[in-house]
Amino acid sequence: MSVVELDHISKRYEQKIAVDDLSLKIDAGTIFGLLGPNGAGKTSSIRMMIGITLPDSGRVRLFGEPFTRRHLRRVGYLPEERGLYAKMQVLDQLVFLGRLHGLDAASAARSAKQWCEKLEIAEALGKKTEELSKGMQQKIQFIAALLHDPELVIMDEPFAGLDPINSHLLESALLELRQAGKAILFSTHRMDQIEKMCDSIALVNQGREVLSGGVREIKSRYPRNRIALEFEGDGSFLSDPMIAEARNYGNHVQISLKDGADAQELLRRAASQARIYKFEWMEPSLEEIFIHTVTGRADA
Amino acid sequence: MPDALLIARREYLQRVRSKAFLFTTLLFPLLIALIVGGGFFASSQGRSGSGKLTMVIVSNDAALAQSVQSELDTGAQSSLSVGVVAPAGPGERRKIEGEVAHGEYDGLLWLDVPPGSLRPRALYEGHLSGNQSSVATVRNALTRAMTRRVLAAQGLPPLEIEEAVAPVNLRTIDLKGRGRSFMNFLGPYLMALMLYFSVIYYGMNVARSVVQEKTSRVFEVLLASTRPESLMAGKLLGVGAVGLTQVAIWVALALLRAGPAMATAGGKASLGALGITFSQTAFFVLFFLLGFLLYSAIAAGFGACLDSEQEVQQFSFIIVLPMVACLVLTPSVIENPGGMLSVVLSLLPPCTPIIMFLRLSAQTVPLWQLALSLVLMFAAIWAALWVAARIYRVGILMYGKRAAPSEILRWLRSS
Repeated sequence: MSVVELDHISKRYEQKIAVDDLSLKIDAGTIFGLLGPNGAGKTSSIRMMIGITLPDSGRVRLFGEPFTRRHLRRVGYLPEERGLYAKMQVLDQLVFLGRLHGLDAASAARSAKQWCEKLEIAEALGKKTEELSKGMQQKIQFIAALLHDPELVIMDEPFAGLDPINSHLLESALLELRQAGKAILFSTHRMDQIEKMCDSIALVNQGREVLSGGVREIKSRYPRNRIALEFEGDGSFLSDPMIAEARNYGNHVQISLKDGADAQELLRRAASQARIYKFEWMEPSLEEIFIHTVTGRADA
Repeated sequence: MPDALLIARREYLQRVRSKAFLFTTLLFPLLIALIVGGGFFASSQGRSGSGKLTMVIVSNDAALAQSVQSELDTGAQSSLSVGVVAPAGPGERRKIEGEVAHGEYDGLLWLDVPPGSLRPRALYEGHLSGNQSSVATVRNALTRAMTRRVLAAQGLPPLEIEEAVAPVNLRTIDLKGRGRSFMNFLGPYLMALMLYFSVIYYGMNVARSVVQEKTSRVFEVLLASTRPESLMAGKLLGVGAVGLTQVAIWVALALLRAGPAMATAGGKASLGALGITFSQTAFFVLFFLLGFLLYSAIAAGFGACLDSEQEVQQFSFIIVLPMVACLVLTPSVIENPGGMLSVVLSLLPPCTPIIMFLRLSAQTVPLWQLALSLVLMFAAIWAALWVAARIYRVGILMYGKRAAPSEILRWLRSS
């Protein structure tokens, strides 16, 4: 049974189609990445997933049943646009949000304290939100989505604006949640995080799904035409006709080959001119696949 | 606890604990006190103000002067402190005139009894001379003193003189519905003002807080666990409860202040000098609630269409307009509470809270009119809530721009 099942959902606003015939499934114990350029329909899809808006057509199923608001008690949501009451004390705020999700006041407070300790911001509990830094507010928002121990966690850009230390803290929290069998969906622009964390992804563009599947499987679909090269000496081989583009970063060059080019031959030519320290065939990064798919360009 | 109540509770606690609440709760009665104080001062030159007025009687006839003094300076309600310089000649008179000019006295009564006569030539001068009520007080005192003197001269015993000059206790009854002056309608008028301010203030508070939650994106978080209808209901309940709390504090303050007056009013709860009755207080609370619900529902819908607090400021006049119109028309309504204009206005829901309240204070309103106004009011509130809830559902998720009227109409149709 999939925790989330979107079945051909579409949503049209006045002038444009926000989501066009999107289908996807998210299973328990997995992390699902929703990718796409700005305005691709990610947030619109998420909103339909949790009943903030209703699809014009198509069906939403949560926990194996057609969506009802009852399901929301089992869902934690971190919206892209963060929203907390600026003048409210953090603990009061978390208890309030926890109670809206069906917790009683005492267990909401207990859970809030546990999470704050885990994410190393216990000192924020007695403060007003407006007194906190952006990063701390974001952690509070993160906690607000998880207080009631949801089975489905939906996070829109959870890492935006966090420093590496806090980013890492939240990453580990999400990985633990996956370990505990929760289904997690997050959307982000940061491909490194997707590669590191996601089991499967969907890439949407202009409301349509343009790519989906397991991260490994998607990457294997794309040819290896990239080479990372380090050398010393004559670099004239870089203008070889087999090379579509070469980015020279000084002692490090990234090369994209033209279709049908023979990498082995390129290595021979390079070795005849210069001293080669490294010559590595690279698998395409999700970022490249993303840009390639969205813009239709192979380079970038 | 249902979501709407949770939201109302948060809204209520957050607001009641705020400094703004404390500030307006205290400031408003203070403002009213200033207006009332100013009104009384203008009419009686600070009778309710600070300390007594001083006046001096200068006369060549000491007996008459003392008699007038005792007439003026008796009773706890006397606001005059009266001195006597008698017997006095032109020299003393000039000296005291100088002192009056320097402000040492507020008034000077000059009584000059010609030899062989009982009647004095009387002259009253001072800062009080333009004031009708204080002149009347002096004239009364003089008349009574003269009566005593003439009766005594005719040999009447003191007891009978006392009987003759004792003031008759004049009972006064307000004839409701006849022409009224503003002054003896001050209480209800001030209550109408308070009604106006509190309905507008809390209505605008709803609009502002909707926009705040919209701009701070709190809505998106809340919508992930609750319905927009619950959000709106909770907000109206919470803010309304804050308003009621404030009104309750004001009523309690007024009751405390009017405590002694109530004790003498024979059990009928009367808010003292302002002449506010228990039923008026009840109607005040009722019309605050109804007015608040109507205006805040409209304000909530409005807030959901707008995108910043500045825009709320810009558009607030649309919401406030009917209320302002009511205030402007208040004098005509008080003058003729049973007239066509008053009746029609009191039946129009946006005007009902203020106008019907004034009419109820001024006359006995026919029951059918009261009933009809309440029915219309409830219908208007229901309609406003219905429309607002629909606008709310779509509007609170629209960021970054103000919704055009055509767009709002589409929201109404689509949902």
